[in-house]
Amino acid sequence: MRFRRRGRRVLAVALLATVSAGLGGCGEDGDASRSGQVTIDFLSYNYGTPDIGGQGTQELLDAFHAAHPDITVRPIGVATKDVLTKLRTDAAAGEIPDVAQIGWSKMAEANTSLPVVPVQDVAGPEWEAHVAGMAPGVMNAVASDGKVTAMPYTMSIPIMYVNATLFTRAGLDPERPPTTMAEVEQAALQIKKAGAEGVYIDAANSGKSDFLTQSLIASNGGALVGPDGAVTLDQPAAVEALAALQDLTASGAQPAVKSEDGIAAFKAGKVGMLVTSTALLAALDSAAEGVFDLRTAGFPRFGDKPARPTYSGAGLAVFAPDEARQRAAWTFVKFLTSEQGFTIITTKIGYLPLRESIVNDPRYLADYFAADGRMLPSLGQLATVTPYTSFAGKRANEAVVVLQDQAVEPIMLRGADPPKTMTETAGKIRAMAKA
Amino acid sequence: MIPVAERARTTGREPGDRRGRLPRSRAWPYLVPLLFGLAVWVYGPLLFTGVLSVLDWDLVAADAGFAGTANYARLVTEPEFPAAVARTGLYVAGLLPFATVVPILLAIMLWKRPGRASEMYRALLVLPIMLAPVATAVAWQFILNPLQGVVNAVLGGLGLPRLNWLGDPGTALPVIVLVTAAKVVSLNTLLFGAALAGLDRRGVEAARVDGATEWEVTRFVLVPQLLPTAALLGALCVVLASQWVFTNVAVLTQGGPDGATDNVYYRLYTYGFTFFDVGTASAGAVVIVAALGLIFAGRAALARRRDAAV
Repeated sequence: MRFRRRGRRVLAVALLATVSAGLGGCGEDGDASRSGQVTIDFLSYNYGTPDIGGQGTQELLDAFHAAHPDITVRPIGVATKDVLTKLRTDAAAGEIPDVAQIGWSKMAEANTSLPVVPVQDVAGPEWEAHVAGMAPGVMNAVASDGKVTAMPYTMSIPIMYVNATLFTRAGLDPERPPTTMAEVEQAALQIKKAGAEGVYIDAANSGKSDFLTQSLIASNGGALVGPDGAVTLDQPAAVEALAALQDLTASGAQPAVKSEDGIAAFKAGKVGMLVTSTALLAALDSAAEGVFDLRTAGFPRFGDKPARPTYSGAGLAVFAPDEARQRAAWTFVKFLTSEQGFTIITTKIGYLPLRESIVNDPRYLADYFAADGRMLPSLGQLATVTPYTSFAGKRANEAVVVLQDQAVEPIMLRGADPPKTMTETAGKIRAMAKA
Repeated sequence: MIPVAERARTTGREPGDRRGRLPRSRAWPYLVPLLFGLAVWVYGPLLFTGVLSVLDWDLVAADAGFAGTANYARLVTEPEFPAAVARTGLYVAGLLPFATVVPILLAIMLWKRPGRASEMYRALLVLPIMLAPVATAVAWQFILNPLQGVVNAVLGGLGLPRLNWLGDPGTALPVIVLVTAAKVVSLNTLLFGAALAGLDRRGVEAARVDGATEWEVTRFVLVPQLLPTAALLGALCVVLASQWVFTNVAVLTQGGPDGATDNVYYRLYTYGFTFFDVGTASAGAVVIVAALGLIFAGRAALARRRDAAV
């Protein structure tokens, strides 16, 4: 009996020791500010990547540290598709970063499920002065109920990249790139005849982002979600848009491959046209150097309907819990979206400058655009971008994955029947919205 | 009271040797560290998973609603989970030969020809085990790229059709199995090699002297002695095949195209960390533990019956 009692005591002491050690760990604050120095964590899907996105982000951080030595920013890298997962698990562990770069397709879910502190509130009285001069079309598109919760940061809209070398080889004029889907198909087939792949439309996006799907459907006059929030992706305009995407694959104008494979082939100079985000400009440019002549054109239209691409890219969400870190976070956000910040973002990473005044300012981007005007068509479209739409309900993110995996990819790549597939998918998404 | 002789038999001690032997009541405090570890790392989380499986929780919300059996119902009513279970069977069936038959043959070949060449092959077999799984998967992505990959370039050069290996639902799963098999074959060949290393070569020499052919030596002397190892590695394959392929599925196909490479573990990951539906992910985990528990209980019952028959 004596041993049994002692055994129990040992167990209790061991339990207590573990629990108190755990509690002690929870109380520690690794970010404690000391003598006016504040440390904040910044989660970014560009940071740490070996490409120019990573290099550009590092340059932004270096410039910020030089300008604000009292604020230390600890960058954390994460894969694009894992941003929400990482933030959720960090939030559950009570260690969410102070500022995070979140893709727009995931922003609605971030706003509803994570402790986002609206950036407009964090800025306080400085807000109006800071956003004066930012693209009004974008600021309106990202606001919800009149308030901006995440700061537009690395923004882009889909654009058509043209391999002028393949155009010339196929007997096409790269000075007059196709403007409609029908012309794209025709040109693509001609390029295919000359021994290369014709076009790749990056709709079967591996990051499970539906910005290109939305751009195609909106440009054909449809929508994924109606103004009243109802799911409308099985309406004729939406179905026709994806059917047109399928036609490109069926005719051989487009290879039936995944997003990464299509983009890699374009980088290698083996595809005539690529429709994807302006964000890829810098990466494609460096891949094209010495291989082919890279040009750009507008997002293709459906017949005579106007092109209505939506935006992609990311915003900056603030999670900083206390006032000191919120101030530091705002200073950081303000710097990243300042004239100097957007100059680095545009020249080093390739996203759109959201401050029009810097485009012609010799202190910022005037030289850049004088030498290379390939981003200008997209800048012109910034005023009329279509707002990114989200599905309703707490399974909104799952609904986008279902849309991409069970409708867009099978229709675009594997010949699935468009009306039937879209109807089934719409049914599933409607059921999810109710759940 | 167990007779002294009987007790000695079970402990391997001579009758009368009572040194170091503790009564059960005194022995158990020494087990506390182990029990504590099991409680913290195994049974505690298992219990916690059981609790999560009846909750509606998204990893972040401060309050988790009670979902009752709704999460379990979702596993049955939506087609994804049953399909993933069925596909898990395909992974097991696909990997089983690579976990047993192929490595047995390779190990016997290496054993029969000891020497520098054999050592070199063994060293080569260690390489795939040492490589980081994600790095290997990324390399395969390049090799199998439908437009620019080496595999399609060779096929095209030979006038054969180029395939979209990872993008076609018909080829994606077999490709994942083959990519995973490279590692499984390497590891298991070494394990069978270790089993063969403990074997007395004189029995084989005797068989040869008695006029047995190489095939007969292999079939009647070597293989029977490897069967216990094969049974163990086969059982491990049944239980772990889905986990072995996880990295390749995550990097190469993310369960696609159209769910063609999904399996139970990747489905749990998807529920939990893509859709943040912790309840359904936990319900799936409970179902898997219960199913594996049943398999092991069945196996143990069979073994007991066999022992009783002997």
